[in-house]
Amino acid sequence: MARVELTELRKEWAGAVAVAGVDLSIEDGAFIAVLGPSGCGKSTTLLMLAGIYSPTTGEIAFDGARVNDVEARDRNVGIVFQSYALYPNMTVLENVMFPLRFKKVERSDAERRARDIAALVHIDALLERRPSQLSGGQQQRVALARALVKRPHLLLLDEPLSNLDASLRLSMRTEIRRIQRELRVTTILVTHDQIEATTMADRIVVMNAGRVEQVGTAKDLYEQPRTLFVASFIGSPPINLFDGHAEDGAIKVHDARVPLNGSARGDVVLGLRPESIRVDGSGTPARIIAVEPMGREVLYSADCALGRVHFLEAGAEARHREGDNVALAFSPNDALLFDRSNGQRLDTRIAG
Amino acid sequence: MPDFARAQLRRQRANFALFLGPALLLLACFFIAPAIVDLVLAFTDMDRTLAITTLTLDNFSRMATRDTRLLGALGITAIFVLSTLTIFNVTFALLLALVTTAVPRGMGAFFRAVWLLPRMSPSVVYALLWLWVVDPNERGLLNQILVHVLGMAPLDLRNDHPLLVIILANGFIGASLGMIIFTSAIRSIPEHLFHAARADGAGPLAIVRHIVFPALRWPISYMTIHQTLSLLVSFEYILLITGGGPFYDTTVFSLYAYRRAFENGQYAYGAALSLILIVIGVIAALVLWRLMDMRRLLQVPRIEVH
Amino acid sequence: MQVDATVAPDVGAAAALRADWGALARRARWKRAAGQSGLLGFLLVVSVPIILPYFWMVVISFTARSGGVSTQVLWTACAVIVPAVLLYSVVHLLAPSPRVRVVAALLLLVTVGALLAALVGGQLHLANYRFLWRTNIIEEIRSKATAGGQFPSVWTAFFNSLALALSQTAIILTVASLAGYYISRFAFRGREAFLQGMLVLHAFPAMTLIIPIFLILHWVGLLDTIAGVILVLATIELPFYVFVLKGFFDAVPWDIEMSAMTDGATRRQAFRMVVLPQVRAGLIAVAVFAFIRAWEEYIFVRTLLIENRNWVMSLYLFWVSDDIMGVDYGIVAAVSVFYVVPSLLLYVFCQKYLTQMTIGGIRG
Repeated sequence: MARVELTELRKEWAGAVAVAGVDLSIEDGAFIAVLGPSGCGKSTTLLMLAGIYSPTTGEIAFDGARVNDVEARDRNVGIVFQSYALYPNMTVLENVMFPLRFKKVERSDAERRARDIAALVHIDALLERRPSQLSGGQQQRVALARALVKRPHLLLLDEPLSNLDASLRLSMRTEIRRIQRELRVTTILVTHDQIEATTMADRIVVMNAGRVEQVGTAKDLYEQPRTLFVASFIGSPPINLFDGHAEDGAIKVHDARVPLNGSARGDVVLGLRPESIRVDGSGTPARIIAVEPMGREVLYSADCALGRVHFLEAGAEARHREGDNVALAFSPNDALLFDRSNGQRLDTRIAG
Repeated sequence: MPDFARAQLRRQRANFALFLGPALLLLACFFIAPAIVDLVLAFTDMDRTLAITTLTLDNFSRMATRDTRLLGALGITAIFVLSTLTIFNVTFALLLALVTTAVPRGMGAFFRAVWLLPRMSPSVVYALLWLWVVDPNERGLLNQILVHVLGMAPLDLRNDHPLLVIILANGFIGASLGMIIFTSAIRSIPEHLFHAARADGAGPLAIVRHIVFPALRWPISYMTIHQTLSLLVSFEYILLITGGGPFYDTTVFSLYAYRRAFENGQYAYGAALSLILIVIGVIAALVLWRLMDMRRLLQVPRIEVH
Repeated sequence: MQVDATVAPDVGAAAALRADWGALARRARWKRAAGQSGLLGFLLVVSVPIILPYFWMVVISFTARSGGVSTQVLWTACAVIVPAVLLYSVVHLLAPSPRVRVVAALLLLVTVGALLAALVGGQLHLANYRFLWRTNIIEEIRSKATAGGQFPSVWTAFFNSLALALSQTAIILTVASLAGYYISRFAFRGREAFLQGMLVLHAFPAMTLIIPIFLILHWVGLLDTIAGVILVLATIELPFYVFVLKGFFDAVPWDIEMSAMTDGATRRQAFRMVVLPQVRAGLIAVAVFAFIRAWEEYIFVRTLLIENRNWVMSLYLFWVSDDIMGVDYGIVAAVSVFYVVPSLLLYVFCQKYLTQMTIGGIRG
């Protein structure tokens, strides 16, 4: 268990900047997800925490002590790679016992600890097999066991679920959460899948292009996104975005003019989540362009004064058809306004 | 047979002749034919006159009973092959591969290029350099260092320790091939395995033992067999540096056959000696073939039209 | 599920470990520095026996005067260069930024150049290279003809070598690409047997056949001709190159040929117009490799060529050194340098292609 602090962490590879100044503070025992698209620097940050890469500038601290120069093998960090990285020439048991070789643990002791961890992760029946004889889910659990057997201060997971199929993913999500709660080990999960992040972690760090966009709970990120990127990354189906121009207490969006509660100037972006738009007789007229049944709900695309809009309706059956004219409305509090030049969210609200 | 099929067949045969014909012709004339000729020659009495008068087993009986030099040559061959193989071609090559992959990439590439220099330069030049280095006078580079830096007496390696010279000379060449193969094998180990091992607490030696060596098992066995064969058969550098001497002191088996044939004119005897090497060569080639992954090489063709 | 006491993190041990971060960091810094310098030192030490003789050869060719060979220039040059290299290694290790390294390298280069020019510049001369324009050089030095006849001009040997290497390369490229393509793309009876046969031949040491090859060439009247040597050298290396090119052909996707054939081409046309351009890298690699091999060949040319006018560079150098070694090191060194430079240049500039050659996954 360790408190982790990243200060202005930066990593450059021969001129290309992978991580461009990350500040982060993670409490002991927390479960953090680092969420972002591929190439945003999240894996690089993870590997710097493990000591595999050295930061170009900036500081990494465990419990307040600077650990930039500490070798990977001395950091007592457990890491599960996306490819699992199991040693192909060893059995599962040998793989799990491997970290204990370097901790001067007696062989019998090491074997007992390995078997205990194997039981915790439900791989006790596979201990004599080789990695090539295991399925993806089994390999992943072996990798997890190997990371945990050394009682790490910090557990790092690099896209651990992305190579698993959907049903396995669901069960492994619960498994990992359960294990983390029992062992109370500080855990950092890196993923590009927002469902993984929101369902597993206590807090989420959204990263983009080497920078941290926002840190918060799933609810915070959803309801109060700080930037355009966060608003469009979180939420499925993605948020509707409309370019507009603000002046004189209102914004002009496409063919519509939306009054503002407060002042704003310049180019803005109006954001409306599909789930916050509903069919309401007194709303803006719109014409249905496409109907997509998605199982539990139906996604509609419609053209209205604001432009092309997507909205959801609960229920498996579509109540409207292509070409229908409907009236759409939304609650002003659900609308988000962003400054188009820098993506920052503005405090100004839509008028009722 | 319909016209289309007949034309197909004609083209098929034409293609075969066009594409494979030249290769088959060359191989038959200058690879297969010599092997057969050697087989026959070993049982004749051809000498300086290049005439064959009888067929005889005399060459083999001479080999088995009357040739005292041969025993010496066999002994020298054994020492030469074993020493060069174990010290340089495998061990030192491994060392070079490990060290040049442990330092930054550019530096590693530079030193690998340096160690490829002997193999890449013409054998005559390489041999010449060795002769200059071990020159018994004060001119020799080695003697310069020994005399001026270490204060020792000058050495005449070429005459006193010729075996050492040829082992070193061939060793430098041999190490470079292994170095390349092993480096390539090390580079193909997925990087994540190294990361995982480092995070698991493994130090550099443990990483070499658990991650690198298992991946090198196959290349090492292949190299061992391949280089053994190569050392058994090649005598180019020995011929150039010591000529097989002084007298016959560094004449390995393959060179012995060559000298008997071209220096003494005993072509039939040379052929008989070579026959033994040919048989060994065929066996070793078959073993190597077994070791290689034939399936990967035999990708089935997907177009059946000609 | 009940938390097992042995599995949960040991708080006491963890706390004890936490206090050591600073010491661990210091130890790690030390280890990294010591490790890297140790490895680098080892590499430098083992590389010296290789670099030194080559360097010496170049130095001799530019400084030796008729008669002896001195190493004074060599050691002076070393005394300047070695500290510079060591200094650069230290800089390289300590400063990871490329700009600092390049600046340091340039500075050292300039200093070394200036020092060398001052200390040994006066002793450099091109007299040893006069064999390039005075063809009777050997007779002059020995004051009699040797080696069973007149020494040919170095240019005879040079052009013989060139002819040998170029023709052999041309033959190999043609025959091996045709055969490699056929094996890669066509199904024919005996394909597997042919491949296995080629594999065995490739691993088989052709040197063992030198005696019968000598006799066969004698019987067909090709002994002591460049043409004979060309054919022999081309054949011996053929299995290897067939496999290499087969590998390159295997990597060309089938779709390209299929679409060419649906576009109306015969297979031969598809081969010539569509597939061959795709394997250009492989062809270049094979050409360069084959050329260098032929340029450097010694044993076969020594055995199969006799007349002076048929000599190639390797034989020329050998006989020159054999004849006047004790007398004039300088010329021998100069001939050596002249001989080595083409293959070294080719090797350096085409390295990118050479490293792509692979057979069954083993790179050569």
